Amino acid sequence: MSRAAQEFLRSAAEKSADLTHRQLIRKGIDSYNAANERGRARFFDWEAARLKCQQIKWEAVNNLDRYLLEFEQRVKERGGHVFWAENSEEACNYIVNLAVARGVQKVVKSKSMVSEEIHLGAALEKLGIKVVETDLGEHIVQLREETPYHIVTPAMHLNRTQIAALFKEKLGDVDTDDPQQLVAAARRALRRDFFSAEMGISGANFLVADAGMIALTTNEGNARLCTSVPRIHVVLTGIEKVIPHLQDLATLWPVLATAGTGQPITCYSTLAGGPRQPGEPDGPEEFHVVLVDNGRSELLANAAEREVLQCIRCGACINACPVFRTVGGHTYGTTYMGPIGSVLTPHLRGLPEFNHLSYASSLCGACTDVCPVKIDLHHHLLHNRRDAVAESDRPHSERMAFRVWRWANLSAGRFAFFGWAARLGMRMLHGLHLDGTLFDPGRAWNKNHAGLPVPSKSFRAMWGKRNGHN
Amino acid sequence: MATTDSPLENPGRARILERIRTALRESSPRPAGPEGRKIFAPVADPLDRFQKECAANITECVITPDMQASARAVTDLLAALPPGEIFVQDAPLLRGLARDWQASRAIQWSSEGGPMESVQATITLAEALVALTGSVLVSASCGGRGASVIAPVHFVIASAEQIVPDLESVFVKIRERNIAFQNSYMSLITGSSRTADIEKILVMGAHGPIRLIVVVALKTE
Amino acid sequence: MHSSRFIFYVREDPFIFSRIATGTPLDYKQTHMARVALFIPCFVDQLVPQVGLDMVHVLRRVGCELDFPQEQTCCGQPAFNTGYWEDARPVAERFVQIFRQAEVVVCPSGSCTTMVRNFYPELLSGTPLQAEAIALGQRVYEFSEYLVKVARVTDVGASFAHRVAVHDSCHGLRELRLKEESRELLRRVRSLELVEMPYSEDCCGFGGTFATKFSAISAAMGDAKAGYAETAGAEYVTATDPSCLLHLDGILRHRNSSVQTIHLASILAQTGTAAERRAPAAPARRQQ
Repeated sequence: MSRAAQEFLRSAAEKSADLTHRQLIRKGIDSYNAANERGRARFFDWEAARLKCQQIKWEAVNNLDRYLLEFEQRVKERGGHVFWAENSEEACNYIVNLAVARGVQKVVKSKSMVSEEIHLGAALEKLGIKVVETDLGEHIVQLREETPYHIVTPAMHLNRTQIAALFKEKLGDVDTDDPQQLVAAARRALRRDFFSAEMGISGANFLVADAGMIALTTNEGNARLCTSVPRIHVVLTGIEKVIPHLQDLATLWPVLATAGTGQPITCYSTLAGGPRQPGEPDGPEEFHVVLVDNGRSELLANAAEREVLQCIRCGACINACPVFRTVGGHTYGTTYMGPIGSVLTPHLRGLPEFNHLSYASSLCGACTDVCPVKIDLHHHLLHNRRDAVAESDRPHSERMAFRVWRWANLSAGRFAFFGWAARLGMRMLHGLHLDGTLFDPGRAWNKNHAGLPVPSKSFRAMWGKRNGHN
Repeated sequence: MATTDSPLENPGRARILERIRTALRESSPRPAGPEGRKIFAPVADPLDRFQKECAANITECVITPDMQASARAVTDLLAALPPGEIFVQDAPLLRGLARDWQASRAIQWSSEGGPMESVQATITLAEALVALTGSVLVSASCGGRGASVIAPVHFVIASAEQIVPDLESVFVKIRERNIAFQNSYMSLITGSSRTADIEKILVMGAHGPIRLIVVVALKTE
Repeated sequence: MHSSRFIFYVREDPFIFSRIATGTPLDYKQTHMARVALFIPCFVDQLVPQVGLDMVHVLRRVGCELDFPQEQTCCGQPAFNTGYWEDARPVAERFVQIFRQAEVVVCPSGSCTTMVRNFYPELLSGTPLQAEAIALGQRVYEFSEYLVKVARVTDVGASFAHRVAVHDSCHGLRELRLKEESRELLRRVRSLELVEMPYSEDCCGFGGTFATKFSAISAAMGDAKAGYAETAGAEYVTATDPSCLLHLDGILRHRNSSVQTIHLASILAQTGTAAERRAPAAPARRQQ
């Protein structure tokens, strides 16, 4: 078992037993579900919206080179720069070198999951450049030196008392746990940073090929400030975020907002393309887009799994997932959590180390039902499992067990015999009071369940008797 | 910093593109798409719908008979704000209306630069209003980027004829008027800034304006 | 006959798997009271045979003639779900061969039905049996699906004077698109009080080998469902999947709950008449 898998199991056991945590998550998810239901009802035909978004993203991903080149061309026409980074290291180096060359001492950041993926914060801070997360949830987890708990609501695992205590300790001017006051305190603190930082780094929800602009879907206004005030704007994005036309946003924006938070559209749906144009009163002098591959082109090559790249990072699958609701976002130990994380991470970071994430699911299919771009998430989990077995990443004992299983099931006689023997074994185990102990091969089950029923006759035996066969 | 397009500076570019092209040699089936199914119900009465959506997303929407009345409405609302400069987009229409406001407020014009951090309010025009969502489209031409996000209060001076029914139509307008290429920035604003990052409780006034006030004149003369 | 349409479909479309598994509704052809072949899941056969017997009882009562192909063992789902497709494939092929003559196949489990209808096409893709498997999938039905949508029967003459909540098993709900069928049947059961439990569509946490590999998570998910059943004041929780019920039953008894589990077929088998009254309504308890 890989170290990541061991850590996952340990954390999962801890969180599964934490009723307070489960209740907090339940409350947050219930709130999201109510808003999302209202949000979907605003559409005349939500399913039609999903189909449209699926089609838009399919077109983009399946013509990725064409649209990326068009995007690059238009960004350059606007006076911006585009850097293509093959991996985390190249992406970090580009941004770090740029910051150093421009004398940047402070960076204000709006939300970018790719920045977590490439560990950009650490790379900048190693050179003494201060990085300030300005998204409130991200800022909170940054102060706590944690990773984001959820890609859309990074601090949903904390209650107001915890946040108030954190702000009191780190920001100083807080004496209440009223959310209004806490937000005001964050506003005051971060405002100073917006106006003193030399570089703003944002992610991108979409890269619009025909306009050469990036699209940002936000509510707080922090991304707008990061991309308006500092003299350098850097966009960090995966290569798969491109979309063909500006017009596509007419559907993608309301769908992303609805799936992400239940809103009809977020407060600021922004498009940024290039540094300020001549005649504009303000805006950055430099605009850089860093396109990150980091394993995405390999996933692209896997045609059956390619649609996973159509993900618009809305978080709906995470909210729908009963495993996430039980263990929370940190247990996954990866940048992307929940169903999308469990499907994607083995592809980006390797099946041998991360296939356990694809196994940590009951395959209930709730994720697939809610995905606004209709990615068949739970079936991709199955495919990851199949690939893990094919690559021999699974334990030897498991492979042997299924060889035996196969042999037993290829004959009715063997099947009946094994079934009878298993029942006999269970009766013996119970008779000797060994259930749940080390001698019990079913102890993982018996630890948490009262004893399984052990009938004396199987169905086939009783049918045979009733219908005169023996 | 040298340019980043030459293969020497960005060798990864060619490699990434090559990997993408090779990957795409194997095709995947195109999904059917919505095939003519309607996504949103048509907006029957755009002005009415705009007002309803503003109420829902907590945008203050003031309807006036004409631009002069709009100017006076803004004067009244300004009176209730703390003293201090206001930032106004330098457009001929607003230069005209500003005569009302100059009496009580020092004005920083967008032609002088972006808004100072301390301005109490900004006043801009808009590119369009969207009825479906109660949104305001602004661009860098509407006083710059900071104009719609820096101050605690943002006033938008608009007219009813700027209302388009839905998002599809606002993008048509953007294309027709070439707004995307004439600007480095656009933002579709729906309500004032907010966050639900604390226990999923909605709090208004995060980093952007705490109040968004859209003043819509029924006639522009 | 619609199987020819699928043969063509298969040769052209290697992605048939995803198309079928989107839950496109079947074209239910009303059959006469067919000769029904019983598909008894492996664990029902060995651990909860009463579920099978109860289903037999109900199907006979509505006029079906029944066959039980004795050669059947397992549909292959455990290996398939764990990624062992090379091991699942021969077992699936054997299943297709065993049931190839059946007009109609009925199964008291949504997950096993799903395996045949939604997953056999992909598992057997590229093999000579794929076309047959697809055709077979079109005539394998989960028990409640068969009664309501094929036999068009909702009143099976049952009687069960208890408060019952339905757990919406995931495969039935999301793969076969079943939700109302069990409720329609239960609403016609005399003296039965149907209640809705909160979060009835949440997964119970069984998930096959998930329950043993990730037992803490599985148990916590089951525990949450048990709590919801108790909140609803249900005396019984029912479902179309005996695996969900085995899992929930073990958890409910582990926490000394008064809520019991019972398969849908076992409820429908209850008629309340002396002649057909059967022993324990709940799955066979361990002999004390």
